[in-house]
Amino acid sequence: MNDVLLTIILIVLKLGLVLGTVLTMAAYMVLAERKILGRMQMRYGPNRVGWGGMLQPLADLIKLLSKEDLIPEGADRWIFMLAPAISTATALLAFAVIPFGPSVQLFGRTVPLVICDLDIGVLYLFALSSLAVYGVALGGWASQSKYSLLGGLRAMAQMISYELAMGLAIAPVVMASRSFSLTAVVEAQQTLPNMVRHPLAFLIFLVAVMAESKRIPFDMPEAENELVAGYHTEYSGMRFGMFFVGEYLNLIVLGSMLTVLFLGGWYGPLLPGVCWFLIKVLGVAFFFIWVRGTLPRLRYDQLMAFGWKVLVPLGLLNLLITAAWMIWRG
Amino acid sequence: MPTLTIDNQTITVPEGTNVLEAARQLGIEVPHFCHHEALGSVGACRLCAVEFLEGPVKGIQMSCMVLAKDDMVIDTGSDGVLAYRAQVIEWLMTNHPHDCPVCDEGGECQLQDMTVAGGHGVRRYTGPKRTYQNQDLGPFIAHEMNRCIQCYRCVRTYQEYCGGKDFGVMGTRQRLYFGRFSDGPLESPFSGNLVDVCPTGVLTDKTYRYKSRIWDLQEAPSICPHCSLGCAVIPGARYQELQRRRARTNRRTNGHFICDRGRFGYGYVNHPDRPRAPLLGHRRVTWQEALAALQNHLHEFCELYGSGSISMLSSSRASLETQFLTKRWANALGSGQLCFEAHPRRDQAARVAASQAPDCSASMEDIRSCDMAVLVGADPLAEAPMLALALRQAARRGARIVVVDPRPVELPIDCERHAAAPEELPRILQGLTRPQQNAFASASEEFGGALGRALLEAKNPVLIGGSDLLGPQGCQMLLKAAEACSPTGSTCRSMLLLAGPNSFGGAMLSDDGPGFDALLEGMEQGRIKSLVCIEADPVADYPDRKRCRAALARLDLLVVFDCAATATVQEADLFFPTTALEEAAGTLVNNEGRMQAFEKVFSAGTPLLQSAAGDHPPRFFSRDIPGSHPQPAWTTLARLLGRDAELEKVRRELEKIDPRFDGLAGLTADSEGCRVVAPRQAPALVAAPASGVTASDQLHLLVTEHLYGSELLSDLSPCLQAVKSDPYVWLHPQDVARLKLVEGKPVRLCTSLGEWTLELRINGDISPGVAVVPRLRGTVVETLVPGSEPMLCRIEKA
Amino acid sequence: MGLWKDIKGTFLPFWVTLRYLFRRPVTVCYPERKQPPAPRYRGRLVLTRDPDGEERCVACYLCSAACPVDCISMQAAEREDGRRYAAWFRINFSRCIFCGLCTEACPTLALQTTAEYELATRELLQVVCEKDELLIDGCGKNTEYNFYRLAGIGVVAPRGGNPGETPPEDIRTNMP
Ligand code: SF4
Ligand code: SF4
Ligand code: SF4
Ligand code: SF4
Ligand code: FES
Repeated sequence: MNDVLLTIILIVLKLGLVLGTVLTMAAYMVLAERKILGRMQMRYGPNRVGWGGMLQPLADLIKLLSKEDLIPEGADRWIFMLAPAISTATALLAFAVIPFGPSVQLFGRTVPLVICDLDIGVLYLFALSSLAVYGVALGGWASQSKYSLLGGLRAMAQMISYELAMGLAIAPVVMASRSFSLTAVVEAQQTLPNMVRHPLAFLIFLVAVMAESKRIPFDMPEAENELVAGYHTEYSGMRFGMFFVGEYLNLIVLGSMLTVLFLGGWYGPLLPGVCWFLIKVLGVAFFFIWVRGTLPRLRYDQLMAFGWKVLVPLGLLNLLITAAWMIWRG
Repeated sequence: MPTLTIDNQTITVPEGTNVLEAARQLGIEVPHFCHHEALGSVGACRLCAVEFLEGPVKGIQMSCMVLAKDDMVIDTGSDGVLAYRAQVIEWLMTNHPHDCPVCDEGGECQLQDMTVAGGHGVRRYTGPKRTYQNQDLGPFIAHEMNRCIQCYRCVRTYQEYCGGKDFGVMGTRQRLYFGRFSDGPLESPFSGNLVDVCPTGVLTDKTYRYKSRIWDLQEAPSICPHCSLGCAVIPGARYQELQRRRARTNRRTNGHFICDRGRFGYGYVNHPDRPRAPLLGHRRVTWQEALAALQNHLHEFCELYGSGSISMLSSSRASLETQFLTKRWANALGSGQLCFEAHPRRDQAARVAASQAPDCSASMEDIRSCDMAVLVGADPLAEAPMLALALRQAARRGARIVVVDPRPVELPIDCERHAAAPEELPRILQGLTRPQQNAFASASEEFGGALGRALLEAKNPVLIGGSDLLGPQGCQMLLKAAEACSPTGSTCRSMLLLAGPNSFGGAMLSDDGPGFDALLEGMEQGRIKSLVCIEADPVADYPDRKRCRAALARLDLLVVFDCAATATVQEADLFFPTTALEEAAGTLVNNEGRMQAFEKVFSAGTPLLQSAAGDHPPRFFSRDIPGSHPQPAWTTLARLLGRDAELEKVRRELEKIDPRFDGLAGLTADSEGCRVVAPRQAPALVAAPASGVTASDQLHLLVTEHLYGSELLSDLSPCLQAVKSDPYVWLHPQDVARLKLVEGKPVRLCTSLGEWTLELRINGDISPGVAVVPRLRGTVVETLVPGSEPMLCRIEKA
Repeated sequence: MGLWKDIKGTFLPFWVTLRYLFRRPVTVCYPERKQPPAPRYRGRLVLTRDPDGEERCVACYLCSAACPVDCISMQAAEREDGRRYAAWFRINFSRCIFCGLCTEACPTLALQTTAEYELATRELLQVVCEKDELLIDGCGKNTEYNFYRLAGIGVVAPRGGNPGETPPEDIRTNMP
C-alpha cells in the first residue's frame, strides 16, 4: 500500500520536476536566443521587461494568450486546432525516456532519474520525432493557404529525409552499447563519450538534428522571405505560441538526445550528474543558437542533395565500418 | 487585298487600309496624335513615322498617309524611326506649358504618354514659350489653348464629323488657334466629343473640372439611358458620385461619339433630392418593414378582391431584367393587369416597332452607310440626337436625306425639307407603300409615291420614322412602306424612334397585354385597388395628367419603385428606392431591337460631396455608407418571388422562356450587343380617329420632344440646366400674321387640357396651321406630353 | 583549394560571431537617448507653402497615386482666381510606411518629409491628419520653387506674363 503510494508520489514528483524545468527552460531558451543573437549582431536584445529583460517570456506569454485566435475561412477547423497541440505534445512526451542523472537513493529505495526507463527508449524517441512531422504537416495543410501548405510539405520532405540519416547515425551507438535503453547507452559511455568513439556518427547526427529542429540553416519550412512564415503563417495567439514553444522544446529534446547518445549523458567530473546533464544540454543549445547567428539558410535543393547524397551514404558507410570493427573485435 | 509584312508579321488587309490601321489589326499600336478611326488621316502630327524597308515606298514615312500595298516590309521600331519620333515629341513640347499637375487630361493624355514613351525628359530649347488667351466655350467645355499641339482633331471632329460651324482654326505659322471667333457657348449638340478627341488638355470636360483623375475613377462599360438609341458610354464615378460620361466605341450603334445630352445628362444619379430610403406614407422605414407592408397589403387585396385588383406598370427606363421579373411577379400573383408604358399611344407604337423583322431594321451603322434616307415625322436632334450625326455621315458620303415633318427639323447637314401638316403624314406614308402606282388620290400621296420610287432606285435606302408623331398606325404604315420600297436585291431598312432606352424590351414582353388606358379604367371603376409602379412615372407620362391623378387618388395602395423624385413618387403610399442605371448591371434593348448589357459602375450612396458638404469625409469608423439603401429593382423583385438575385440566372430564364431573346445570357457589356432574333406579333390596332376640321382660329397643337428638358433623367442633371430653354410656342409667320401676334411676346395657349402663357417664336420651316410646343419638364407646360393625338388649340395675345 | 575555401568560409564566421558576442552593442536605448535624425530623414509629412505664402499643393492626386499603401486622399477644387487647390487633404499616418514616394511624386514640392517620427498613439484617429494639421507656415526644404510662376498658365500673373513666356498671340491678325 505504502509502496504504491510512494511510487505514485515519486512519479508525480519526477513528472512535475521535469515538466516544470523543461517548460521554463524552453521559455528562457527563447529569451536566451534573442539575447545572444542580439549581442552577436551588436544589439541589446529584449531588455525592458524585468531586470535586463528577464520577465520577457512572461510578457510574451501574456501577449500570446490575450491575442485573438484566428481560424482562416476555409481551413479544416479541427485539424487546424489540433496541429499545434500535436507538435508540442510530441516534444514533451519525448522527455519520458530521457535519463537526466544517475539513480539516487530516496526514501530508502533506488530511484532512477528518468521518468520511465523503457527498454526501447531509442525507438520511442524515434517514433516521437517522426510523429512531430505530423503536427507541422497537418498544420500547414489545414490552413488553406499556399504558403502554409508549401511550408508543411517542405517540413515533411526534410524531416523524413533527415530521419534516415539520424537513424543510420544512431545504429552504431546502439550496436556498441548493445541496448535500446537510453540509460544503458549512457552507462556505456562512462569512460569515453560516444562522440569520441563514433566521431562520424556524431557529426551526421549533429547535422541531422539541426535539420530535424527546422532551424537555420535548415529552416526551409518557415523560410520567411519565401513563405511568409511557412506552416504557421495562418496561426495566431496561443496556437502559434504552441508551435513556437514546441520548437524550443524540440531544441531541448534534441539537445538531450545528443547529450545522452553522444556526449556521455550525466557523466562528468566533480559536479553531480544532473548538473553535467544540464550543462551539456545548454551547451548544445548555445551551439544551435550560435549556428543560427552565423550561417545563412541553405537552398532547398542543396538541403535535399546534402541529405540524400552525402549524409545517408556516409551513415551507411559508418554503420558498415562499426559492424566490421565489432565483428573483428568479437 | 494587299498583303504586307509589319514587324515580321504578315497580314492581308482590305484595299484602301493605311499602314497605321493595318499595324493596329496586328495589335501593333503605332504612336500617333492626328489620326482617328472616325476622322481619317491628315498627316499633321508627324508622329506615326515607320520605316519602309521593301516595297513601293522606301525610307521613313508617315504610316497614316501611306496605303497598304503588296510586298511592303515595314519596321515600326527601327532606330531611325525611334530617333525621328523622339525629335517630333521634343518639338511638340517646345511650347507646351509645364502644367500637367493642374491639367484635367493628366492620366489619360496622349501627349504625356508619348513624351514618356519617346524618352523626352529634359527641355533643351531655352527660348520663350508662345501663349494664348483662352475662351469661354460655354457650360460644357473648358479651354486651355497653351497646351495645343496643332493636331487638328478638334476641328475635324467639330466641323467635318459633327457639322458644327462656330469652332475652327485661325492664325498663321506657328500661331494656330483652335476656338471660336469670339467667346460664347459652343452651338453644336455634339460639342462634348471635343473632350474625347483632343489628345491633350486643351479641351476638357467643364462639368468634371478638377474632380478626379482617371485612375481614381470607377469605370465600366455602360449604355446611355437618355434616348432609345442606346449609345455605348463609359461612366466614371468616385466617392459615390457619378462624375462624367465619355463615349465608348460600338461600331454598330454610336460609333465613337455621343451627344451632349448623353454626355452631360449623368447628374440625375447624384441629384440631392433623390429619395434614398424606403418610405411608408412619408415615414422612413427599413427595407424589411417596407417589404413586409407590401406583401401584407397585396395579400390582403388578393384575399378581399381577387388578384385582378392588383395592377403593375413598368416603363421604358427599366432594364429588361426588371421588366421580365415584373411580369413574372404579376404572373405569380395571378394578375394580368400589367403594362410597360404609361403612355398608351407610345406603348402601341413600341409594340409596332417590335414587330419589324430584325433583318429589316436599320442600325446606326446602316444609316451611316446608307445612300438615301427619308425621315417621316422624326426629329433626330430632339428624339435621338446621335441619329443626326449618323445622317450627317451618310450625307458626307453623298446620301440624299429627305425630311418630311410638320416641325422645323434641324439637322447638321443640308437636306431636303418638306413641311407637311400632321394630317398629311398618313397620306404620304400611304403613297410610300405604293410607289409603283400610277395615279394617286391626292398630292400628298403623289409625293409619297415619288419618294418611294427614289428609295426603290437607291442601293441602301433607309426609312426613318418618329413614333411620337406617326403614332402606332403611322408606324405600321412606315414598316409596310419600307417593305414596299425595298429595291431588288436589297432591303429598305427601317428605323422607328421610340420613347425610351428600353421601350423595345417592354413591347416584346407585353404580348397582347392591356395598355395603361385599360388599367386606368379599372381604377376609375374601382376594380383595380392597387398599382405598383416599377421605375415608372404615370403622372408625368400619361397624356391627361388630371385623369391620371384622379384615378391614382382612388387607389387603396400606390407602390412606387424609383430612383428619381418623380411626380408619382410624391403620391406613393409605399416607396422603394432603386438604383440608377450606373449603380447596377442589366440589359437594355434599343430601338432596333439590339440587346445591350451594361455593367455596374459603382455602388449607390450619397455622394461624399453632399454628405460631407464639400469638406473631408467624416472622422469616425462605420460600416454603413450613407444613402446606400437603393437596390436594383430586379433584385427586390427576385426577393419577392423568393429566388436568388442573380443576374445570370434571370437572363438564362428569360432566354429559356422566350427564345426571341436568344443570346441574352452570353452577352457581355463590352460587346456590340445582339439583336433579338425574331419579331413579336404585330398588335391589332384600332383606327385612329379622323382629326377634326380646323376652325379658322384653331391650330393643331403638336407637343414634341426637345433636345434638353424633355427626357426625365437628363433633365435632372444640373449641368444641362444651363442650356434648357424657356417654354415657347412655334408658329408659322402666316399664322402669326393671321392671328395678329408679335414675335417674342408672350401669348396664351388654350387647349382642352388647360391654358398657358408662353413666349412666341416664329419659324418659316413649320407647317402652317400647326403650333409646336416643346415639352419642358419643370416649367409651366410640363403637363403637355408629346406623342399624343394632335390636339386643337387656340392662341391669343396674353 | 575550393574545398578548403568552403570550409574556411563555413567555420571562420563562427569566430566572427563569437567575437561580436562580447562587443558593446551599437544601438542606443531609445526613449532615454534620442538620436537626432538625419536632415533627409523620412518622418511625418507636411504640406508647405510657396514663397508667396500660398498653399503649394494643387491637389493633382499624384502623391495619392504614388503611395503604395493608399493612405493619401483628397479632393481638388478651384478657387475664383483659377488656382487649383485641395478642398480637403487627408493622410492616414496609421497606414503610412514613410517610404517618401509621395514626396518624390509631388511636382510642386508641396509635400515634404520632416524629422518627426514619434507618432505612436493608441487613438487611431489622432494620426489621421487633415489638411489644417498638415499645412505648415513655410517653404520647408526648398525656399524658391513656385509652381504657378513656372507652370505656363496664368494664375499668379496675367497669361504670358510669367518668366520665359511671350505675351499672348493676337489671333485676329495675320501679320507675322
Ligand atoms: S485643341 Fe486639342 S484637338 Fe485641337 S489641335 Fe489642339 S491639341 Fe489637337
Ligand atoms: S443619342 Fe441618345 S443614347 Fe446616344 S448619347 Fe445621345 S441621348 Fe444617349
Ligand atoms: S511616405 Fe509612402 S506610405 Fe507614406 S504617404 Fe507617402 S507614399 Fe504613402
Ligand atoms: S503630389 Fe503634391 S501637389 Fe499633388 S496633390 Fe500631392 S501634395 Fe498636392
Ligand atoms: S497620325 Fe500620322 S501624322 Fe499624325
